[in-house]
Amino acid sequence: MKNLIFVLLTFFAISFLTNPLYASSSENSVQTQKVVKVDQHEVKSISKMFSNFYKTTGIYAFLNPRDGATNALGEPLSKFAQSWGRVIMIFITFLLFYLAIAKGFEPLLLLPIAFGGLLANIPLANIIGHGGFIGTLFDAGIKNELFPLIIFMGVGAMTDFGPLIANPKTALLGAAAQFGIFGSLVGAVALSQYTPLFDFTLKQASAISIIGGADGPTSIFVASKLSPDLMGAIAVAAYSYMALVPIIQPPIMRLFTTKEERAIKMVQLREVGKIEKLMFPLTVLMLSILILPESTPLIGALTFGNFARVSGVVDRLSGTMQNALINIVTIFLGLGVGSKLAAEKFLIADTLGILALGLIAFAIGTAAGVLMAKIMNKFSKDPINPLIGSAGVSAVPMAARVSNKVGMESDPTNMLLMHAMGPNVAGVIGSAVAAGVLLSIFK
Amino acid sequence: MGDVNLVVEGLKFMVLGMTTVFLFLMLMVFVLNVISGIVKKYFPSKKVKPLHVRNQVAANSDADDEEIVAVITASIEQFRKH
Repeated sequence: MKNLIFVLLTFFAISFLTNPLYASSSENSVQTQKVVKVDQHEVKSISKMFSNFYKTTGIYAFLNPRDGATNALGEPLSKFAQSWGRVIMIFITFLLFYLAIAKGFEPLLLLPIAFGGLLANIPLANIIGHGGFIGTLFDAGIKNELFPLIIFMGVGAMTDFGPLIANPKTALLGAAAQFGIFGSLVGAVALSQYTPLFDFTLKQASAISIIGGADGPTSIFVASKLSPDLMGAIAVAAYSYMALVPIIQPPIMRLFTTKEERAIKMVQLREVGKIEKLMFPLTVLMLSILILPESTPLIGALTFGNFARVSGVVDRLSGTMQNALINIVTIFLGLGVGSKLAAEKFLIADTLGILALGLIAFAIGTAAGVLMAKIMNKFSKDPINPLIGSAGVSAVPMAARVSNKVGMESDPTNMLLMHAMGPNVAGVIGSAVAAGVLLSIFK
Repeated sequence: MGDVNLVVEGLKFMVLGMTTVFLFLMLMVFVLNVISGIVKKYFPSKKVKPLHVRNQVAANSDADDEEIVAVITASIEQFRKH
């Protein structure tokens, strides 16, 4: 007890001594207000002080939602979002932790996103508001689409486009798989047209459908341009389904192929020289400059990273992009996206629609890729195993590994991994192009 | 949005989007094939040679294997005769 009294006395003394100091720096009005409050504290009884302090605790904030309260960004909050909504969201972030840690679902992004979500649901703390640290990260790199592009740079630096250059026609599989994006776009608008539950605008539907591109940075990039409020749900859906690729894809792949088709062996890929590897990023960039300048931020970043990699003279830069830079930005991006997991943004019917549509998008994309590969196999002189078609939904390199695994179930000696990498990396380009098309429509 | 049929709009997006994606990637395939043709013709890479060498080595080793098998069989025969 003596200690407590001592601490309280010290507190009074300090607040008294610092008063003139605060008052003199009256340029900050918030601090001036605080001074006033401190002044009032001094004349209050100890019980009054404790009850006032209680009103600043999280417990009080959870139990006593106020009417007309606003969140850190000044938007109005419902009573539910202030109390139970926050509690539910905190448990949802715990579920995401479980998925990331125990189940290994894309932990590199899901973990920071979930923690960002946890911090976003703290009452009174203003972490996601302007000036709060996650709010600052959000403003610095997500609002203006900077972070997804830096991630794309790193992806470019990490990706070997060799398998695609060796067998360019597999790029068409990466194109077919983008059907998932547009299929779910139609699904999303159909839902809002024919059910009373959802009301997605075309912009929102487009942002949601990009989940079918199975590409996290592209999804976040498009969402931040077209529908920032749905970004949290879109990012969570995109990364969760990317992690679920080994579970979602195989049944669909088996459904559309026969055992004989799955056992098809492909001709070994030729080796690709340095000149071709250097020409590749430039070719892709030139094409996107000519056809779709709207997609050049994404493709430009991707090809820059890849160009640095294959040039062979700036290993330090490409190494930084592949490791340090992408890691730092992943932390910032994850926390920033997590700020959109605040209860008022996430606990809405739309989220369920987004999760369902994302799943449909993945399924359609996988099926379209496999069917395209079957068609190509009919017309191509070298055999094409339809299983590599499913890798056309980006999700590098997970989708390619799934193709390989399902192929080995039919014939353990059949190594499809490198063949599947072709459509896999083409899928990244394909979804960037699809994103560019969607963005150009709303330009 | 009122009277606008969103589904029709969505289908329009789909046609435009898939056409663009396919066109883009087909153009890319075409250009890549052209480039690889040019590179093969004017800059025959050194990588091709090692491939041939490797094939030759592989072929040689196959022949070697046969020789070795023959030699071993012959020596076993010899051994049995003794």
